[in-house]
Amino acid sequence: MKTHSRLMMFSLTACLAYTLAYYFDWSLFRYYLTSGTIDVAAPATAGPPILWYGWLATAVLAGVTAAIVVPRGFVVRLSPELAWLVPAAALLAALMYEVRWFL
Amino acid sequence: MMTALLILHGLFAVALLGAVTHQALAASVPRNERRARSFFSRFRTTDASAYGTPVVVLFVAVMIMGAVLYPRFRLVVRPLLQDLDLRAANGAFELKEHFSALGVLLLPAYWACWKQPLERSYDGARLWLTWIVALTVWWNFIVGQLLVSIRGLAL
Repeated sequence: MKTHSRLMMFSLTACLAYTLAYYFDWSLFRYYLTSGTIDVAAPATAGPPILWYGWLATAVLAGVTAAIVVPRGFVVRLSPELAWLVPAAALLAALMYEVRWFL
Repeated sequence: MMTALLILHGLFAVALLGAVTHQALAASVPRNERRARSFFSRFRTTDASAYGTPVVVLFVAVMIMGAVLYPRFRLVVRPLLQDLDLRAANGAFELKEHFSALGVLLLPAYWACWKQPLERSYDGARLWLTWIVALTVWWNFIVGQLLVSIRGLAL
């Protein structure tokens, strides 16, 4: 049950953090295609970056932190329905964010 | 090397698609239909809990292979989509990117829901999380196949 609640907390926070990460561009690092290097800053000559790995890293970091820090008593009191409602809302937000490609 | 990885990525995705679809249908069927004799009833009455860990392992494996292939996509496939002005294909891939990330991030909750003994309070979450994983896998598979159809296997 202890592991159960920590895993739930990780997923809820990480899904939320990923959504915020791509929306506000909170990328933990950037991967530069042409040079094949990873950097936290944006060098002027580095070429186009891939942000996706950095967004994922941001989400994982937020998820792990929440799973460790948030008290188990609080997690147990959360509705089990949140376990699917938060990811469903995150998918819907992604759909709305990318709808511009289809218009 | 990248072409071989792309084929392997596709093969693992087929296995994942089969596993999660079986599980989602089995989780949706009421228990009193378990003795049904038709092909579809038997298909749907698979032991859904047996698929939890295999789905997680396959999802992570497919995701890692996709992450390795991603830079080649950005260098080879995306410029072609832009040149051909295929905005919908580009957008479909952007969604595939988000769905893969969200899918892998919700796997711990999904796995916890399917962990034995199954907790009754998570019955609803278990069913809907399984369908969400199935949706992301189906979307990603179809978009992946469409992009391979546009660009071909040579990466």
